[in-house]
Amino acid sequence: MAVASRPSPIAWLLAPALLLFVLFFVLPFGVMAMMSFYSGNPVTNPNAFLTTRHYERFIFDTAGIFHDALWSTLRIGLITTVVSLLIGYPLAHWMARMQSRLGHALVLMAVIAPMLTGIVVRTFAWMTILQDKGVINTLLIDWGIVSKPLPLMYNEFGTVVALVHIYVPFMVLTLTGVIGRIDERLEQAARSLGAGRLRAFVEVTLPLSLPGILAGSLLVFALSISAYVTPSLMGGTDVLTLPMLIAQQVGTSFNPNFAGALGVVLLLVSLAIVVAYNRILARLSGEQGLA
Amino acid sequence: MSAPLQTIRNKQPFDAGRAAYLTLNGLLLAFLLAPIAIVLAFALNPTPYISFPPVGVSLRWFEKFFRTPEFTNALLLSLWIAGCVLVLSIVIGGACALALARGNLPGRSFLTAFFMSPLMLPAILTGLALFQSYLLVGIGRPVWGLILAHTLVAVPYVIRTTLAVLHNFDRRIEEAAAVLGASPTRVFFEVTLPLIRPGVFAGGVFAFIVSFDQFPVSLFLVVPKGETLPVVLFNYMKFDLDGAIAAASMVSILLALSVVLVLERLIGLKAYVKL
Repeated sequence: MAVASRPSPIAWLLAPALLLFVLFFVLPFGVMAMMSFYSGNPVTNPNAFLTTRHYERFIFDTAGIFHDALWSTLRIGLITTVVSLLIGYPLAHWMARMQSRLGHALVLMAVIAPMLTGIVVRTFAWMTILQDKGVINTLLIDWGIVSKPLPLMYNEFGTVVALVHIYVPFMVLTLTGVIGRIDERLEQAARSLGAGRLRAFVEVTLPLSLPGILAGSLLVFALSISAYVTPSLMGGTDVLTLPMLIAQQVGTSFNPNFAGALGVVLLLVSLAIVVAYNRILARLSGEQGLA
Repeated sequence: MSAPLQTIRNKQPFDAGRAAYLTLNGLLLAFLLAPIAIVLAFALNPTPYISFPPVGVSLRWFEKFFRTPEFTNALLLSLWIAGCVLVLSIVIGGACALALARGNLPGRSFLTAFFMSPLMLPAILTGLALFQSYLLVGIGRPVWGLILAHTLVAVPYVIRTTLAVLHNFDRRIEEAAAVLGASPTRVFFEVTLPLIRPGVFAGGVFAFIVSFDQFPVSLFLVVPKGETLPVVLFNYMKFDLDGAIAAASMVSILLALSVVLVLERLIGLKAYVKL
């Protein structure tokens, strides 16, 4: 392909997407940021004025809930990411190294199928498993292992379990691609030089898959800090995350301006992650710009 | 992570490390799939509350689901919206991918990342930002606003699958057609379009599912009595956990699974690992 060629007429096909993204993505986020600096709706309310009070409310946090919400959002995101990595890595490794095409297709199907079943449905599934009269507690009581139900739900534990289930496929898909590209002969070489299987894995394959680990982790972290359905159904009164707080401000407190400020805080955290993710991916894929 | 510390070599008949590795992965697969199986059991279990183990098989919850207007209206609305999103995102996303791959655009990788960004930014914020914009402009919460919001988060999938196909196919096929005298329009309609069709369709299938299962973007954009199925289910689940939700879940899952089968038919799932 010519290096310094001008855009071809095909470039015009970008126009509809660009229009959609400017009108329904870029501008709205601008509106959200703007609203976060207003006391009300500047179009319908002539008395609305510019203010930083929503940010002050968040920063000084006199009610003592906003910082906690931010921390528990990040904490839940982090735990979900680590557990997803621990669960996703063996699966991804297995899939990447599988010889049989059929086996590969079946495992891939099993990984993708949960992705296609919707967050609400999967959260429901975990509620039926983890609640007091759910599958696990019923079995544990029937078998005489515990006398009263374990608190598996309406807390951070249940939230993390369901979040891991929802986001682990993203981890697996990211990791499989990276592990699949590592030359298997490197590991074989290490083994023929006397390294045990574990050592060959830890010293050869694992370091080479580090970019995939980072990319997958950032993706899962970004997804889990913005989760709303799962923490609000599985967390009960124990868990309050930033997305839940935002929904409260819109739904029950009717304060879209403060919700906007909270949104900007969450957006900044996410943007930092997205930038890091894109850098890693750019280094991973080299010339091809498939983010 | 794969093999425990052992000195057993893989030449021996029983390989404990390998067995442990396979057992672990089997358990992880079970973790992924068990919840779906359990939902099916509850959907067919006739007891009034979610209880385990199931005592029988009945279709009463499916009956309740299909006899409750609240659910069926929401299902129809969700299907209608997902259908519109499918068409819109195929057209917009397919065109965009072509422009990105063939348009000689400056800043191509930046543009690609930009068009992928709705997948990375919190969807609930996309919903919030659109809610505030609609509020500011004073248009209320129209259905077309919801459809375009879903299209925005669905288009990246179409772009992604189409780009993957475009990336793999040989440009010389197009050049050959041009050399043989086909006009650029004819090359486009008779060579390029048929070649990218599987990628566009696969993306469309994703777009349908993304819209049909969409919750965070819809949350602030639906109106009372005009809620999509996931929102209705969510609100119902806050107070009631009975078999109707399980049946509704099964309806969604069956829809999604049939869509996966279509997808497998169209291009084979293998193409997705490379994304």
